[in-house]
Amino acid sequence: MPDRIALIIWVLGITADVCLIATSLVRGSFFKYFFLNFYVILAMSADLTRQYVLRTWGLNSVEYHYVYYYTDCLLTIALFVAVISLASRVFAELKLDKFVRVIAVLLLLGTAGFSYGVVAQSAQRLSTSFTNELSQNLYFVGLVLTYLLWGAVLKLHETRTRLVQMVLALGLYFSAYAGSYALVNLASKYEVVLYLGPLLGCFLPISWSLTMLRHSEDSRLTPARLVAVPR
Amino acid sequence: MSRKLGVLVLAMGILVGAMGLKTIVGANAKTPVMMANGCSPVPPPLPPDPKNPPK
Repeated sequence: MPDRIALIIWVLGITADVCLIATSLVRGSFFKYFFLNFYVILAMSADLTRQYVLRTWGLNSVEYHYVYYYTDCLLTIALFVAVISLASRVFAELKLDKFVRVIAVLLLLGTAGFSYGVVAQSAQRLSTSFTNELSQNLYFVGLVLTYLLWGAVLKLHETRTRLVQMVLALGLYFSAYAGSYALVNLASKYEVVLYLGPLLGCFLPISWSLTMLRHSEDSRLTPARLVAVPR
Repeated sequence: MSRKLGVLVLAMGILVGAMGLKTIVGANAKTPVMMANGCSPVPPPLPPDPKNPPK
């Protein structure tokens, strides 16, 4: 991957991260959406660390490989917690937020146990295989949870604009990643597909920043209108 | 009791659905690891460890 394009994408991502944190602080929503902001802070720290390791040891080095996938695992766990925090907010009015947290813990333990079961047979690089497997599995759990959450948003006629748009952004992000993964496998000979992953990494902070900027906590909309099928 | 069971069944259902989806998406995958987060370039796969080759 040419250095210049990768660097432009990296700068765009870091700027988007800073934008979201600044917007949250200015609009007084930092603690209201703490886990979303925590994920973005962690993503920014991970990207700064990765850039340092990339500059010092290079893209093909073992050091960059380990730093990338260990931080990726941490970020996936943080994103999972962010999805759960949004689910807690959606179900809080039904007093089901406690159950959402119990399900989250069960899912995290279940995914970790399943991942360990898969990699336990492998003798080489057990901890690396485990983090890779956990990261992938948790990513798919997050994907399913986000779709369930969007279903709940429609069913419960959730009207809080910020919440609806944040869930939608998460759904788009997860779906786009699954699509880019398929594209990387289908067309791996084209170098341009290698930019998709890092570019998509900028999507969440940009969309959440726009949501924070454009809508206040009191803004309301009707997500039921988004469903095309008339009843 | 039934409520606890319901929570457990829901968690298991989500886990099974997620793993099923992963199997479908990665059925013909050539790259073993999915890049998931951040805007840094994705590293290429590591060559096999000569001290500990895969069986």
